[in-house]
Amino acid sequence: MATTRGILVDITKCIGCRSCEQGCKQIHGFPTDTELKLSTTALTIVEEHGDRFVRRMCMHCQDPACASACLVGALKKSGAGPVTYDAGKCIGCRYCLVACPFSVPRYEWTKLVPYVKKCDMCAERQAKGQLPACVEACPVQASISGTREEILAEAQRRILNDSKYVKRIYGSEEAGGTSVFFISDVPFEKLGFAAPPKQPLPLLTASALGDGPTVILVGGALLSGLYWITQRRALVALAEAREKSAKEGS
Amino acid sequence: MTAKRFPKISFWRTIVALIFAAGIYSMYARFALGFKAATNLTDPQPWGLWVGLGTLCGVGLSAGGFAIAASVYLLGLDRYRPILRTSVLISFLGYCTVCIGMMYELGIPWRIWHPIVMWNRHSVLFEVSWCVMLYTTVLALEFSPALIEKLPWAKPRDLYLRWHHSILIALVLAGTLLSSMHQSFLGGLYLITKGRLDPLWYTPYLTTMFYLSAIPAGLALTIMAIYLCVRSLNVRVDMSILSDVSKVIAPLLAMWGVFRFVDLISRDTIGYLWMWREETLLFWLEIALLVIIPLILLNQQKVRQNPQYLYGTCAVVVMGFITNRLNVSITALQASSGIYYVPKWTEFAATLATIAAAVVAFHYAIVYLDILPKNPPPQKWMASSVPARA
Repeated sequence: MATTRGILVDITKCIGCRSCEQGCKQIHGFPTDTELKLSTTALTIVEEHGDRFVRRMCMHCQDPACASACLVGALKKSGAGPVTYDAGKCIGCRYCLVACPFSVPRYEWTKLVPYVKKCDMCAERQAKGQLPACVEACPVQASISGTREEILAEAQRRILNDSKYVKRIYGSEEAGGTSVFFISDVPFEKLGFAAPPKQPLPLLTASALGDGPTVILVGGALLSGLYWITQRRALVALAEAREKSAKEGS
Repeated sequence: MTAKRFPKISFWRTIVALIFAAGIYSMYARFALGFKAATNLTDPQPWGLWVGLGTLCGVGLSAGGFAIAASVYLLGLDRYRPILRTSVLISFLGYCTVCIGMMYELGIPWRIWHPIVMWNRHSVLFEVSWCVMLYTTVLALEFSPALIEKLPWAKPRDLYLRWHHSILIALVLAGTLLSSMHQSFLGGLYLITKGRLDPLWYTPYLTTMFYLSAIPAGLALTIMAIYLCVRSLNVRVDMSILSDVSKVIAPLLAMWGVFRFVDLISRDTIGYLWMWREETLLFWLEIALLVIIPLILLNQQKVRQNPQYLYGTCAVVVMGFITNRLNVSITALQASSGIYYVPKWTEFAATLATIAAAVVAFHYAIVYLDILPKNPPPQKWMASSVPARA
């Protein structure tokens, strides 16, 4: 996983120009009007919290809840970092929307053949060695991309060398760690960041699923045993009844 | 007698006709206009009434079939054999409504077969979909003799019935295991909502909670259906069987209640029990309907032995069960979703119409198939006397 890609957003540098929004909309061919919330035509947006600007987008978890939830495997964590969506597999159950701890995936509620929409960290562009569209569009390098290790080290360096930063990298341990990181000089709670559990969410369901084979083996054995006893008792009762009637007959 | 008569317009027929009319509009809205027109679902509330009531309650209330089949065939409790076919029929129709409901729920319903070939074994929903698929097949097979035995051709009929007899125990065993798995995995679906599902409901034991509550609720629905058959469909059932079933429901509900409170105490969530908020009120409504009221009522012989009282008590259990499932799937997630979801009327209509279709199918199955023994037809000499109701 050494080549896993990631994005670092430095909230102290963001000037709120929304170039990232526009860059994203352009490469996807979406209408370019500014939107206030993530939508099927706005896979990243800039929120205003006081005098700070906060980008929202898919966090690309290391062990994504959405990918573990998707029953047909349409959502996948690729080796290169992005969590990608295969629209050809999706059946529209929307369990990914239920599962995501950051409430990121969006659904095309108005369409008759609706799909899920979310950021894929420009997986195709990155595979060709290009930058994600939002990162490329940023004029002040508030968003930078690189390998996950590189940008984590960079985030570490920034918050250690400058006392204005909150001593925390949002994304380093949220939901078991993500591939998109935020650093800020204002506590994250005040900027509308979600507070998901620290462990990878798929672990929560894995333990229940792990019980499945046990249920089948133990339950199957138990029920077969009970059936055997039931049968045996019926046979014994029958034999006794026959014996009794034979005795009475003689 | 006139050769052709129009069906009489009665109260219940009018209701059913209205439900179907509304259901047809909902179908049009969902499939011709889309989710936005047919539902109040949004990104923060991606699952609503169709999942909460249609799927979670539909599957849960259909648990009676496997419970009775396992009791009769695996545990040898022949006492319940007379109601076996009815309970299997109820479960089968219940799962049919779930499968039809799935068509409404899925954004791309014609891809419903995808999970058969596209696997993700880390997904709880994948396991649920396979179990539901297989168990619906098992139920169809378990119920099939009721239809096959009506075939006029003796040879294929007997051949099928003999084959069916030889695989019956395997079917029941598989059905019991499949049911146990997906009844609990339906609760497992919500394990991934940690931190967002209200603490009064989120527990690592959601799976066990769902399993323990489904069996008594399924049995309660079975009692209700059989009571209604006896009351209006001219069939006979030994009512003491129903009162025996109710003797099983009470300890199962008590067990669920004890487990629920032990879990709440062990997770240190007692504080939430006395907070003045909507979730807590709904929690107490759930506990009252699913545990307290039924236990008080079922503890009285007068209630257990009077079919009408028993029917009422079972209705309370079923309502409590529905409250529990809607709490987990909708109300306990509202606070964290940040929006207030109220289902659109078309959502209610679609679900109601599906249930009404199952009830109509059940009615005709009881009338035309040998599910429950029928009362003898009235004799000529009885025509003028008081109608005899056994």
